[in-house]
Amino acid sequence: MSEKMYLYPAWTRLWHAINAILCLALIVTGFSMLYSNPDRFVVNFSSAVAIHNVAGVLLTINYFVFFVGNMFTSNGKHYKLALKGLGQRLFLQMRYYALGYFKGQESPYPVTTEQKFNPLQQVSYVGVMYGIMFVLFVTGWGLLFPEFILKKLLGFSGIFLTAQLHVIMGFLIFVFLFVHLYVSTMGVTVASNFKSIVNGWQEKH
Amino acid sequence: MRSYLLIVIVSLCSALSGVAMSFSLETTPDSAAVRGINNSTYAHDNVQNCLRCHGELYYTIEDTLSGSIKRRLMSDHLRISTDEFYGSVHWNFSCLDCHSEGYAAFPHALDLRFEEAWGCIDCHGYDEKFAKFNFESIEQEFQKSVHYTAMDGAFTCWECHNPHSYKVQARESLTSENFIVESNKMCLSCHGSPEKFGLYSDKKLGAVMTKHDWLPNQTLHLQAVRCIECHTMQSDDVMVAHFVTPKDDAVKNCVDCHSQNSILVGSLYKFQSKEARSKYGVLNGVILSNDSYVIGANRNLFISYAGIAAVVLTLLGIAIHSIFRIIIKR
Repeated sequence: MSEKMYLYPAWTRLWHAINAILCLALIVTGFSMLYSNPDRFVVNFSSAVAIHNVAGVLLTINYFVFFVGNMFTSNGKHYKLALKGLGQRLFLQMRYYALGYFKGQESPYPVTTEQKFNPLQQVSYVGVMYGIMFVLFVTGWGLLFPEFILKKLLGFSGIFLTAQLHVIMGFLIFVFLFVHLYVSTMGVTVASNFKSIVNGWQEKH
Repeated sequence: MRSYLLIVIVSLCSALSGVAMSFSLETTPDSAAVRGINNSTYAHDNVQNCLRCHGELYYTIEDTLSGSIKRRLMSDHLRISTDEFYGSVHWNFSCLDCHSEGYAAFPHALDLRFEEAWGCIDCHGYDEKFAKFNFESIEQEFQKSVHYTAMDGAFTCWECHNPHSYKVQARESLTSENFIVESNKMCLSCHGSPEKFGLYSDKKLGAVMTKHDWLPNQTLHLQAVRCIECHTMQSDDVMVAHFVTPKDDAVKNCVDCHSQNSILVGSLYKFQSKEARSKYGVLNGVILSNDSYVIGANRNLFISYAGIAAVVLTLLGIAIHSIFRIIIKR
């Protein structure tokens, strides 16, 4: 029996579960809105629009929980990015994933209660949660209340630019989802990280 | 429909000119009755007095000394349709609410013709009741328009919007086609009429169709598009753009409208979204049923392909990594 540490308190697990469900709903309906004909492509168009909007509103509320939670609990420390030496840390982690992992080497940044993300995870999570998600919320709400969108920017229609930015960020989240799921299989066992985000306990390598 | 006849002698006129006027009146009171007007009200009586002449094709004048009666044609631009007036948004106003009290006397004094007419902003500006129309921005746009600047302010709201027959077309028109026709009628009332155009300009008025020779599917465009779509600077602040631009600045590039990245598409999206929100609220009008979002409206081929390529490359990277994991059994 390997040693375990309590890594994910209840509120982060609940937030994560809601986040996952809503993001999946947004990705599926987002694709339906972008590529659909009037009555096909996974979800029909009008339902896709309604589900996408409702899920977007709920995700905003859930994001607020995350934001406030990180401000007032110790979970916030995992999202504080130390820029000094970041390049070197990222390089070491990438080299581990590309080579060291296959050679059976120890992770250069093992998971601890003080540092539950390795440098690559930290950069990507900070980028997703405070960058991509933020832009998605701003552009998404902008499209619901279009009078706040600039009429024209650099010769482009403001609505067009906002919509394209929303789509690009959506694609980035979609790519992140695959990488996130795959990296999650690289725990002690393929399933161990998935179990830990459900019960809160992480197995040590 | 029953009509009735009235003869009114205005004694005041004989005192002034030695000629007494009599007015023959044939009106249909039904339009007034439909609006629920009490015939005894001051406003209605006042309007009826004016419409005895201004609501008719002809009026008569009588010299009470000689008994001579002359029948005269009421000038088109001074004639007001009774039905149109009572069907307009200003139907419950008295004429003298907007026109000088001096008009109560006949013949009307010459200096009254130089009376400055009130503009829309004078009544509708800075009033919460009309806030959604944003008359303040309309006024600002209008004052930048070529109509206003080319005529040093002599061009007023009334040149396009007849206050005696004005209706809120966007809300009351049954079809968008009617709405387009009504909107374009305003422009064509001058730009399709050399006589009226001559009131404002010494230039020779060219035929509208000839001027738009360059336009592909000309008839279709002129039936389906309002003049102001191409001849105004679009703004998000007002429902209908009023910044009419000089003709050289008019939209002439097809892609300005026929592309996803068009100001027209943006304006329509914003307009529909705001309308739906004001009618049905945020939840029902925007979140649960956002009709302003059009299928494929945000689809950009380059971004679609780039996005799919990013996903495919990610999956490829994951597949390669997975294969190595399987081979090395980790």
